This record gives sequence, structure tokens and C-alpha cells, in this order.
Amino acid sequence: MKIWSTEHIFSYPWETVIKAAMRKYPNPMNPSVVGVDVLDRNLDSQGRLHSHRLLSTEWGLPTIVRAILGTNRTLTYVKEHSIVDPEKKEMELCSTNITLTNLVSVDERLIYRPHPENPEVTVLTQEAIITVKGVSLSSYLEGLMALSMSANARKGWDAIEWIIQNSERENVPLCNLY
Amino acid sequence: MNSVGEGCTDLKREYDQCFNRWFAEKFLKGDRSGDPCTEMFKTYQVCVQKAIKDKDIPIDGVEFMGPNKEKPES
Repeated sequence: MKIWSTEHIFSYPWETVIKAAMRKYPNPMNPSVVGVDVLDRNLDSQGRLHSHRLLSTEWGLPTIVRAILGTNRTLTYVKEHSIVDPEKKEMELCSTNITLTNLVSVDERLIYRPHPENPEVTVLTQEAIITVKGVSLSSYLEGLMALSMSANARKGWDAIEWIIQNSERENVPLCNLY
Repeated sequence: MNSVGEGCTDLKREYDQCFNRWFAEKFLKGDRSGDPCTEMFKTYQVCVQKAIKDKDIPIDGVEFMGPNKEKPES
């Protein structure tokens, strides 16, 4: 089992980052995410928005890991549960793979919050638990995957920044004439 | 962005646009008035659930399983 965690700061207020996070895909930094669907969405009694999503990704495992594990599957599915608390200004996302579960388990948790000392800035704490099962060299493979996750986390942050900077008007109409 | 079900992409995009607008303009601004996207969501869902079944994607309901719970082998 390998535990990996990191923290990143976005120089934008929380609402801006959250809106981008909700619209993260597609983006040029994460071309391997090929499908995203919302399976369920609801507000709980505390006014928090829950979303359950299914993501399909071409990146499941680094090629070398796939070779060692002996799988040719390239399309992997991930399910994600997110909670947006607009009062507390907190967005939490938890995701886990639902295919290849007999070989590998990647659980990831992301939390976006305003920086405690500067509300114009947002902190993302990100952590993952990676477990490779049933083969020798599992801790080596887990290490490789953690490196892969590090690189992909960076791309994820760049993706959020890209979405913020390219915020298109198509999602926000100029006039509400209906 | 495409849907996991190829035939559902248009429905997905329509729903996403509606949701993103509601999320930014209402939800985040504390407006608790109803979600205008529910009908669109239902139509989109019918399509997605069928695609999930056809592709045999192991969704297992939408209950999230945390890292401490045992995942079914698949």
C-alpha cells in the first residue's frame, strides 16, 4: 500500500476554482479522460450538493505496470462522489477505480477550501492510497504509480488553471430571456 | 466531453450546460430555488443507465465505497 499526498495553491478565490473543477473535462492536460457522466445528483438536508459521476479513462496504469500485471485493458472506469458545501466553502471529491479491482486499487481524495489566511486564494489537498495486489514487486509498482499520480496531479492543477483562464461564455448566457 | 455511452453525448452536453449555469448562477450564490434541469437529467439518465448495462460497467449502485471497505473483485 502506498500513500501519497500533496497540497497545491490556486491564486483564485474558491468559487472560481470550484466552478472550474465542476467543468474540468475536457481539457488539453488530461486527454486520457474520454468519458464523464453524472449518475446521480441531489441536495442533502444541510444544503450540500452531492454528485455521483462515472469517468472512463484511457490512462489506467502506466504501460510498464500493465505489462507486469499482464493486462491489455486500456479503458478503465472510475466512480467519483463529490460534495459541495457552499456555506462552509468546501468541495470534497472521492474517487475509486471500479475496474481492474482485482489487480489494483486507487482511491483518491481531493478537498478544495479557501486558504485560511487569504480568502482570495484556494488550497487543494490531495491524497491517494494505491494498492497493487497479488503480485511480487507490488511495492515497486505502487511506487511507480505514485510517481505517475504526481505527474498527473500536476496536469490536473494546470487543467483547473486552464479552465479558469479560458472560461467561455457559452455556459453563462449574456441575457436570461426565458 | 463525451458520455460513456456514445449515443448519450448530446443529452449529456445539454444537461451539463443547464447544470453549470444553475451551479454558478444560483447554487453558489445561495439561491435555493429549484433545480431547472431535472427533466433533462431524467432523459439523459435513461440513456446512460442503458449504456452502463450494455457495456457491463460494474457500477454497483451509487454508494461510494471508501478505502476501508472491501471492493468486489472485477
